[in-house]
Amino acid sequence: MPMYGDLGNKLVQHAKRTQNLAHLPPYQTELVRAVTREVRDLDRDVAALLEPFQGSFDPAEHQATACTLLVNHLSMRRNKRCLLAYHRTRTDKLEELVWNGTDILDMAGAQQAGGPGAVSAPDGAAGSSSLSPQEEDYFRQYGDLLAAYKGHWTDIDLTGSLEPPRDLFIDVRVLKDAGEIQTEYGAINLTKNSQFYVRQGDVERLIAQGYLQKLG
Amino acid sequence: MSYYDIDAILTDAEKIPCTFQLDVPDLGYLDNAPTQPLKAGTKVNLPLWLAEMLAIANTGDPEGRSFVTFDLPSALGNDVIQALKADPRAVPLRDQSPHFYGLATHMMDLVSEDKLPEVVRNTFVTRAAEVALHARKLGGVGSRGRTAAEEGSNLGFGGAGEEFLRGLDEWERKLFRKAHDGAKSGKEWMENIRKH
Repeated sequence: MPMYGDLGNKLVQHAKRTQNLAHLPPYQTELVRAVTREVRDLDRDVAALLEPFQGSFDPAEHQATACTLLVNHLSMRRNKRCLLAYHRTRTDKLEELVWNGTDILDMAGAQQAGGPGAVSAPDGAAGSSSLSPQEEDYFRQYGDLLAAYKGHWTDIDLTGSLEPPRDLFIDVRVLKDAGEIQTEYGAINLTKNSQFYVRQGDVERLIAQGYLQKLG
Repeated sequence: MSYYDIDAILTDAEKIPCTFQLDVPDLGYLDNAPTQPLKAGTKVNLPLWLAEMLAIANTGDPEGRSFVTFDLPSALGNDVIQALKADPRAVPLRDQSPHFYGLATHMMDLVSEDKLPEVVRNTFVTRAAEVALHARKLGGVGSRGRTAAEEGSNLGFGGAGEEFLRGLDEWERKLFRKAHDGAKSGKEWMENIRKH
């Protein structure tokens, strides 16, 4: 027999799995909707239970009603915690992705190609993205915030690698057309399958984003 | 244990046996009978998040009765405790509860059981040493000619300790992963030093 809070628990189990994945599995639209619906139902029950008392409810006098109210209240509170924790787990992951410079569209593509998460949650968005529209907004705006923050320092890249480079210059191969980039030594046109000897600092982000591959 | 802690939330979903102390007409569904009233004396298994508050809430009852009373869950029952006293390493905690320690510490807050804290503490200390041992062994074996990715997923790695590792609860699993990663990073660092 399903009980209040069971659906919320499912959501948290999804969150638990998400913590151990490198990518973000599809957003559980249906489950989130079902849990919020449960909260609304419970709230309606509470209102109906309290209605006959006209605002003068004495718990000591009506213990059974007080007990039901408490169960309803706790169930709502539990659902709230499950919902918040689920979304927080995902936004934490989103922030991590922004800091790592991962391109979110790339990720959606990788998942369609058969990532483990794509199989485990077929009821999520069937489209290109595993994010809810709100999450996409969050991702974009957090990216903007980070860019604005990083803009304060022109001589240091906050999202750059923490590993000290062994060589200042490296060989890279272009995996995807990335257009023209400006470097201290002039412009380079990055067309697919070409190879360059460039300064590591200039292309670090392009490597992280998967446009370039480091050789050697 | 924060509000958003996923493991804390899952621990709160563990069920404990409760007995209702009063008739509640609207809660029959908790006992699989939505159309029947819930009678005083009915035993139901309730998740911690519900049971705890129902047990300690102020009911306004003149005799100070609470809505429900509860017992220790079977995971902390006498059989398990006796087995843990005999040899903590021989008990697959995961089969008792995936959040065994979380459940135990939570229950210790609620009941004053003299021997429980001592047994649980001893269990953790004994098993933690074993966990560390296995974690180091796997770290050592794994780094010879294996890629980092292969080493990353090492739970269920074959060998003598497999059965023991399968029985770890969530907290111990975390400990295992940390100990393993630590040993591996240490090794990598040493090798790096030698190279340069």
